[in-house]
Amino acid sequence: MATPAQLGLQNATSPIMEELIAFHDHALMIIFLISSLVLYIISLMLTTKLTHTSTMNAQEIEMIWTILPAIILIMIALPSLRILYMTDEFNKPYLTLKAIGHQWYWSYEYSDYEDLAFDSYITPTYFLEPGEFRLLEVDNRTTLPMEADIRMLITSQDVLHSWAVPSLGVKTDAIPGRLNQAMLASMRPGLFYGQCSEICGSNHSFMPIVLEFIYFQDFEVWASYLYIV
Amino acid sequence: MLATRVFSLVGKRAISTSVCVRAHGSVVKSEDYALPSYVDRRDYPLPDVAHVRHLSASQKALKEKEKASWSSLSMDEKVELYRIQFKESFAEMNRGSNEWKTVVGAAMFFIGFTAILIILEKRYVYGPLPHTFDKEWVAMQTKRMLDLKVNPVDGLASKWDYDKKEWKK
Repeated sequence: MATPAQLGLQNATSPIMEELIAFHDHALMIIFLISSLVLYIISLMLTTKLTHTSTMNAQEIEMIWTILPAIILIMIALPSLRILYMTDEFNKPYLTLKAIGHQWYWSYEYSDYEDLAFDSYITPTYFLEPGEFRLLEVDNRTTLPMEADIRMLITSQDVLHSWAVPSLGVKTDAIPGRLNQAMLASMRPGLFYGQCSEICGSNHSFMPIVLEFIYFQDFEVWASYLYIV
Repeated sequence: MLATRVFSLVGKRAISTSVCVRAHGSVVKSEDYALPSYVDRRDYPLPDVAHVRHLSASQKALKEKEKASWSSLSMDEKVELYRIQFKESFAEMNRGSNEWKTVVGAAMFFIGFTAILIILEKRYVYGPLPHTFDKEWVAMQTKRMLDLKVNPVDGLASKWDYDKKEWKK
């Protein structure tokens, strides 16, 4: 989860998120370099007493400031596409989990072995246990095994929602009538928070997602406690 | 109703045009703008026409004297010839102004006014903060975040020494 007044990305919990953080650093550095160059040039232009009104052509500099941005764009595109294809890699998931968006809660279905399903509503502020996080806690957390590839199938039962967990690098739209697939993998146990990321009505800000990653052995114990809804 | 509104629209434009004409010393009439004109510009050092178009008798005599050798001209005469040709010198046309003080002052005034509005809003309009902002709750919350190892790589949990149970120095 984010700490108060946090500006940057959350620490990575999945390998894809690590790649995304590195790519973000790369792209942001390029942005800072270009912006400071432009700012410097503007300041030079605003503080000179010299004038020059008779430029007719400038072929050499036009070549440079066309070719150089093209090269910079390629240098951004190549790592970006690399990560894009990485997210689509084939891997054999250990588990398939369906996340279905409703107004205004998520429901989860584990259908691999038995039909296990539950709803996940936000815990209202008044009902928080001491030390819990306002607007982030839910009544039933989504429990998953760590260090395993998990296939997420995300859809919606009414309007557009989006299932997002920033520290795992996942954000996938929940579209009614469509199943979107995303892959999840956590390298650490613990709780990881996210929030609905597509405007869906009055309580759009109040339908969070909490993933609880636990050890393999404990996961099957947990699953055995669920009943058919 | 509509007629008076239309008239006031036209009337306003007529007034603003005459203000512009007065500001430039009635030099520019609306039909003159296509003819060569005088400008004081740093990047156009030799304007298309002289500043003084209609010379007085003494100025005409001076222009005749200018046709002879210039070493016979006194300093005052040279300055007079310059002022016939040009309205402002480079030093005069490039002079700074005190406009920046007005701009900065007005900006600070409006920022201060906005600050007053925000203070009044906080005092009279906003409700209380949720109980999760109380110091005790924030302490429990932070403890829970450390137990959960939130952002352990370079975020919150990385700043806590788990052996000594204190923040890292």
